[in-house]
Amino acid sequence: MPGKLDNDHELIKKAQRGDVTAFGDLYESHAPAIFRYLFSHLDNQMDAEDLTGEVFLKAWRSLPKYTERGVPFLAFLFKVARNILVDHYRKNNNLETKDPEEMDGYSAEVISEPIELVGNQIEHQKILRVLHRLRTDYQSVLTLRFISELSPEETAQVMNRSVGAIRVLQHRALAVLRKELDDIGQHED
Amino acid sequence: MKIERQIEQIINTYSPAISSGDETLESILAMYPQLANELRPRLEAVIFLQQVRLSVATRPGFIHDSRKYLEAQIKSMPPLGYWRNLLRRSSPQRLVFNILAPVIVLLLLALVINNTVLTARLSIPGDPLFSTKLVIEDVQLALTFNQVDKTDLQIQQSRERTLEFIELVMEGDYQYLPNAAARMETEIDASLHALNNVSKNEPASQIAMVTELRDILSNELFMLDVLKSTSPTTAQPGINLAIQVAQSGILALR
Repeated sequence: MPGKLDNDHELIKKAQRGDVTAFGDLYESHAPAIFRYLFSHLDNQMDAEDLTGEVFLKAWRSLPKYTERGVPFLAFLFKVARNILVDHYRKNNNLETKDPEEMDGYSAEVISEPIELVGNQIEHQKILRVLHRLRTDYQSVLTLRFISELSPEETAQVMNRSVGAIRVLQHRALAVLRKELDDIGQHED
Repeated sequence: MKIERQIEQIINTYSPAISSGDETLESILAMYPQLANELRPRLEAVIFLQQVRLSVATRPGFIHDSRKYLEAQIKSMPPLGYWRNLLRRSSPQRLVFNILAPVIVLLLLALVINNTVLTARLSIPGDPLFSTKLVIEDVQLALTFNQVDKTDLQIQQSRERTLEFIELVMEGDYQYLPNAAARMETEIDASLHALNNVSKNEPASQIAMVTELRDILSNELFMLDVLKSTSPTTAQPGINLAIQVAQSGILALR
């Protein structure tokens, strides 16, 4: 994403001078990926939305100290997101997925049909159950690469590993995920 | 090429096509029959993750609404790098600050050095700044090139040592007396040597300075005699040593 990186560079400079709109543009560009990353680790859409805002507020506060040396802004945001996720887990002490019956409803204004809402929640719970069966580094590499759509280089920077290591990790993680999907399918049958 | 790399390239190349429905799992496997066994489970996992990506997408309007909320929150916060921006801004006040800041720093520095020197000058053996006092005296001596002035300075320093000794006795710091007496002896010897060097060129000055040194040593002797009678026995050896030093000095002056 070289064009995106150049654009980020300009926006970051402006934001560092206090331009809130430039930071808003950065938010609009990167918030969907951050949200997807957070939501694929959480069982509640509202938490994911709150934490997305928190990630960007924290990033705003850290902007004066932020320098682009070696770490692109997106990788920096994901590092912040990962820390916030860890804090959230610690605060709530809740790493397990909940049963769909325990989940609270959300966003009636957007999803108007209750049956659709429950259907989505059940589907999300199933996804979480599969992902949570994977090792943490497998979860991370798969969510960063395929759900947040980061490049191997960006994933390597977020996870503090080499690009080669990420490639091997992804290769193994995909195989394990496929196996877990089989296991869960058989179990549910 | 390693198999992981090949498979990653295939996944990167065809993921968007699978997502858009332009390619299917089977059509991709047909292109790479030699990798089918490795590729199939991974492509199936990728297809699952693509579905997950769609299911965890943001709700419509969320990004737009939350951006407004985020911008409002940021605007209500204190400005980014407020103090840094203030210090960088060029203005008449900033110009005055730029000129005044180094002047104030220099004045403060001069004040601190002056206070240190004054405190050091008043120090006696045992005080934390006494070694500073000796260094200052050495520097003064090194920077004085005229022989008469140098000798005069040496005599003043001998006077300092004798006064310090008396002060030590009066304050009861007897443990420092032997060292102070030794230092006094060294200083008086140095003064006597300096007086010898002056004698050839400046006889008048020499006589005046000899008189001055003799007065200093006589006063010291008188004071030490008085103090000896009122001091405890622990102070006696140190005082006796100082008396001998002063008497030797007077004898040498004769």
